[in-house]
Amino acid sequence: MNKTKKLVLISLFISQALVLSIIESWITLPIPVPGVKLGLANIITLIVIIFFSFKEALIVVIMRTMLSSIFGGGGLIVFLFSCAGGVLSTVVMAGLHKVKHDVFSIVGISVAGAAAHNIGQVLVAALIMKDMAVIALLPLILTFGSIMGILVGIVSGFLEDKLKRSKIFDLY
Amino acid sequence: MLKKGDIIIFAVILAIILFSSIGVYYYKFDKNDIQKVAIIKQGDVVIEKIFIDDLNELKEIKIFGNDNVIIHAEKGRIRFYKSDCPDRICVNSGWISKRGETAVCLPYKIIIKIEGVDDEVDIITH
Repeated sequence: MNKTKKLVLISLFISQALVLSIIESWITLPIPVPGVKLGLANIITLIVIIFFSFKEALIVVIMRTMLSSIFGGGGLIVFLFSCAGGVLSTVVMAGLHKVKHDVFSIVGISVAGAAAHNIGQVLVAALIMKDMAVIALLPLILTFGSIMGILVGIVSGFLEDKLKRSKIFDLY
Repeated sequence: MLKKGDIIIFAVILAIILFSSIGVYYYKFDKNDIQKVAIIKQGDVVIEKIFIDDLNELKEIKIFGNDNVIIHAEKGRIRFYKSDCPDRICVNSGWISKRGETAVCLPYKIIIKIEGVDDEVDIITH
């Protein structure tokens, strides 16, 4: 794949991830833990890990969190918060994907990524707030986060099949 | 579709959920406290401690430097009433009333948490 095509595809993935994270910020889930989101942008992270590599996925995640905290008006603290979760889950998912072929399915990788994201964010929140009481939210957040992780994994599996058949990654 | 390794991932996550739930359960229910105290903190600074069970009317707390953040406390419970932060997660947390519960405003680093006070500790209530 030549450089220009790669640049265009990565930019497209960043914009798709950004749109997904903006859309999911409008959705309040009917669950007792505030602030838990669907994790739709994780679909894009997973796809980039599969079709490119860890490095490109990291770029997509950092750009997405940066742009979404600019558009969402979250400021530096919210950026650090979502970036830490995103980077940690990307590291975990890329690591598991390296040994994927008959050990982990895309659903398993997605759930592990979601859990890493949740644990990372709770720890970062405790650091930012300088208060350990936040950690008491972990069991509930992790429960709902893992359920979202399963759904995101299933959707990513469908998208992976479609993209493989579309051949957009093969040409040039 | 699921593979061998997935079971390990699910088992590890379930174990973390289980152990952290047990930890949180003991943190919330290990002692019979006589008093619940709501603590409002911004970063390291404790802004106010309120014995919420003793309140008989609505108490409004404003955060110095963040005029648009308003906290309401009444008998036995407390909440973020208003905030101009972008995500409003703090306001959406609603009322909190039990020991170990928290409401957090991450952008402004404000946390409300409810703790218990032992009877061994001397407290002046009135």
